[in-house]
Amino acid sequence: MTVEIGHFALVLAFALAVVQATVPMLGARLGNARLMAIAAPTAMAGFALVTLSFGSLVAAYVASDFSVANVWQNSHSLKPMLYKVTGTWGNHEGSMLLWVLILVLFGALVAMFSSNLPATLRANVIAVQGWIGAAFLLFILATSNPFVRLDPAPIEGRDLNPILQDIGLAVHPPLLYLGYVGFSISFSFAVAALIEGRIDAAWARWVRPWVLAAWIFLTGGIAMGSYWAYYELGWGGFWFWDPVENASFMPWLAGTALLHSALVMERRSALKIWTVLLAILTFSLSLLGTFLVRSGVLTSVHAFATDPARGVFILIILGIFIGGALTLFALRASELKAGGFFQPISREGALVLNNLFLSTATATVLIGTLYPLVIEALTGDKISVGAPFFNLTFGLLMVPLLLIVPFGPLLAWKRGDLSAVSQRLFAAFGVGLAVALVSLVFIDRVSVFAALGCGVAAWLVAGSVTDLAFKSGYPKVGAAIALRRLAGLPGASFGTVFAHAGLGVTLLGLVSVTALEVEKFVTMKPGETLDVAGRVLTFDGMTPLRGANFVEDQARFSIAGADGKSLGEIVSSKRVYTARRMPTTEAGIRTFGFSQLYVSIGDPTEDGGIVVRAWWKPNVTLIWLGAVVMMVGGVFSLADRRLRIGAPAARRRQSERPA
Amino acid sequence: MIAFWIAAALMTAAACLAVIWPFLRPQPSLEAGHDVEIYRDQLSEIDRDMMRGAISPAEADEAKTEISRRILRAAEDRATGPEHADGKLTRVVASLAILLVPVLGLGGYLYLGSPAMPDQALAVRLEANPSTNTIDELIARAERHLVENPQDGRGWDVLAPIYLRVGRAEDAVIAFRNTISLNGSNAAREAGLGDALFRVAGNVVTAESREAFERALGYDGADPKARFFLALALAQQGDTASAAERWRALSDDLPQDSPWRGTIVQALERVREAPAPQPGSGPTAEEIEASADMTQEDRAAMIEGMVAQLAERMRDNPDDAAGWQRLIRSYSVLGRADDARAALQSGVEGLGAESSAAQELIGFAAGLGIELPESR
Repeated sequence: MTVEIGHFALVLAFALAVVQATVPMLGARLGNARLMAIAAPTAMAGFALVTLSFGSLVAAYVASDFSVANVWQNSHSLKPMLYKVTGTWGNHEGSMLLWVLILVLFGALVAMFSSNLPATLRANVIAVQGWIGAAFLLFILATSNPFVRLDPAPIEGRDLNPILQDIGLAVHPPLLYLGYVGFSISFSFAVAALIEGRIDAAWARWVRPWVLAAWIFLTGGIAMGSYWAYYELGWGGFWFWDPVENASFMPWLAGTALLHSALVMERRSALKIWTVLLAILTFSLSLLGTFLVRSGVLTSVHAFATDPARGVFILIILGIFIGGALTLFALRASELKAGGFFQPISREGALVLNNLFLSTATATVLIGTLYPLVIEALTGDKISVGAPFFNLTFGLLMVPLLLIVPFGPLLAWKRGDLSAVSQRLFAAFGVGLAVALVSLVFIDRVSVFAALGCGVAAWLVAGSVTDLAFKSGYPKVGAAIALRRLAGLPGASFGTVFAHAGLGVTLLGLVSVTALEVEKFVTMKPGETLDVAGRVLTFDGMTPLRGANFVEDQARFSIAGADGKSLGEIVSSKRVYTARRMPTTEAGIRTFGFSQLYVSIGDPTEDGGIVVRAWWKPNVTLIWLGAVVMMVGGVFSLADRRLRIGAPAARRRQSERPA
Repeated sequence: MIAFWIAAALMTAAACLAVIWPFLRPQPSLEAGHDVEIYRDQLSEIDRDMMRGAISPAEADEAKTEISRRILRAAEDRATGPEHADGKLTRVVASLAILLVPVLGLGGYLYLGSPAMPDQALAVRLEANPSTNTIDELIARAERHLVENPQDGRGWDVLAPIYLRVGRAEDAVIAFRNTISLNGSNAAREAGLGDALFRVAGNVVTAESREAFERALGYDGADPKARFFLALALAQQGDTASAAERWRALSDDLPQDSPWRGTIVQALERVREAPAPQPGSGPTAEEIEASADMTQEDRAAMIEGMVAQLAERMRDNPDDAAGWQRLIRSYSVLGRADDARAALQSGVEGLGAESSAAQELIGFAAGLGIELPESR
């Protein structure tokens, strides 16, 4: 019965989403408070229904109810419990349901925390959310229904793709979707503002926490996806400029730009029209990402099933929402009151520069991603736009951006003094230069790229620290007072510092691995040794093992330092998942400091040896740790009391209550 | 069923309540003064910044003036705020919305859902009374038992013929081999193994399968299954006359009510009719037989021509699983093992490497001793 209740809840949620999409909007048009007030309760009830629906699907997975076609196709009774649960969204239907669940969750959150929003804006925002929800619920019910039943029920499922049987599936898709879908809020706010033809600085202040939250999740989702690909796919890479990766990276770039332009709009009432456009484009890129990944246009581990009907359906949704929003923008943008003008040398000037670079970079990635698809659709030729294109275009765009990042936070609003800021950054520049020289002299005398990259990374981190020092008034007031002031700085200041420093940390990881990685590709027999950048691997032999739903051959290697001291063991294995008869490679990874030793085994050779690929990846973990630092920055910024406009109002209401 | 409809009715009622909710409460006020609050917040922030020394008093004054200007503008907007009244239109819209939820929800569900279908959690199905289990569920129960007790010979003995009956030939081969190694060999088990191998090979009595039947005859010279299949092996090799003779002899030995009699009659009919080969279907055993009268070159040319024709046809219809089996068998009969392997590879690619048809083809070829070339 739970399965059918879940199905019924999903259909009911669709009906409710239709009401949520239309009635409040009409109410805002008519100026009727009651019709507008329908928005919030329907959004919350819709969330409850989709949660119930999702929960019943999870229950069907947990119970291995193979009378549900979706469970039969993607689960297996012998799978470990964690993968039974995560398998719920390890397939097309389930992952779309998760997408919608997160969408309605955000809708419900807006409904709950927006009581201090102007009534018409609130009604319109929730109604636009309702449109998106209704469209995707219809998509699920019409083309990707996870509740289709099988009668008679098969006795065993076809198992989940072994690559997805990993803890990564529990983290990566939910985080990524929280990011993708989180941008729907800024989209809804932008469309609502265009419908009302009214936008002000307060709007930016309402939107910014939502953008920030989405940005934090998307950063985490991308980083997690990258790390997962790194350790699971066994080829040692972490980023391939693969269209699926780009699909998540583009909203991130646009979202980062949005984050910064919303700041200008909030503080200076400027860049209004641009911010609204950016809010629309960011979510449009999220939708494009969903389309690219879910339509089967791209074949990858993400394309669970290809069905032309789904592709066409998502394309129509894409067309209606992006086209509709942009048309509305074209019609209404001129009515929005443009903000004040400002000096080019100022905080807002620096933020505009940031936006220019980020949006150009987004466009570059977009072209590089779509061009091969368009060419293939028109001529049938398969061309590949790989890393060289992106490194040349995107990479070149990033260099000046990274160089100017430390200037931004130090410049004052309205009228900045570039020479004064440059003087303040003198120490940071010195640190960057010193690091570059150290890298060139002591680490790698050949790679100028590595030296410059490390230098820029150090410049970013040192520049962030400088910003923090001057914000607390360090050279003027002395260390003791500065330290006290540091504690009193608003969260947003720490947010800036951590986010920018995190960028430097990630850059350092990227540069180290790209320039200084050591790769070995050999055949080894038991007892043979291999030197990988000063660490000696000894192949101890193969051990067959049996897991819950797979059999594997484990290759064990003992590791010793250059001085012969034992550093432990590393295990890499080849698995065959019995249900799908699909082989996978499990890489063996050992972390030393920030660096990693990465061993992946290939096929056995005829003479009893085995093909071994081993990498020494210096500072590789910094790539993802940097992302974590950026997320911490985001959390600091989000925790800033000034952003939570709801908080003081709520407190006031409470104190008014008679004791 | 009843419980489901009660739950559905409650959910629908809750959804409708969400729509009616604003009408059950006092008229909400439409206040547009929220943005003013934010500007006030910004003003106090400037004061704080000034006290901290982050901005100069002159800058602070300038910023305050700008924000005050915004407050004035917001106050103007408030003056032209929307009016509120529950007109006739409002009531119509609200009624339509409340009507839409159950109609769309219920209608959509009745179109898409299966309200009468209960949950079927695997554990519950497997613990139910065996008499209510389907054959698949019974097999699963036995499999689960055997995963934990792989040395249970009786279990394998029961399961093997069931596998054969439900068409899981590959599993039947494993089960028969297990029961033979655990319980010892006998006529029925060897004949069953032969039958399973015959089906794995795509209904061809391969050498392996024939050996199993011969062992069965060693235990029981009268075993009808073994005798039937050994005759079929002759027929498949082209010696239809001897095959027919053996079937008739078997038929004479069998009691009147033996189920094998019908099978034999059918087999005899098939041999007699010897279906006319369709163009491009590859040479049949009979055709190779008939070509015995030709000269060496003519014969070779005829067979090569037919095989080439079939190969050509397969290039255009790569999704014809039966065609691939014929082609691989033809190559195998002609002793062209390399071509057979190549055909197997093309066949697997043509059918889609992951498809069950491709897996079946690999199994079929394995029965003929043809395996995919070692690649990767």
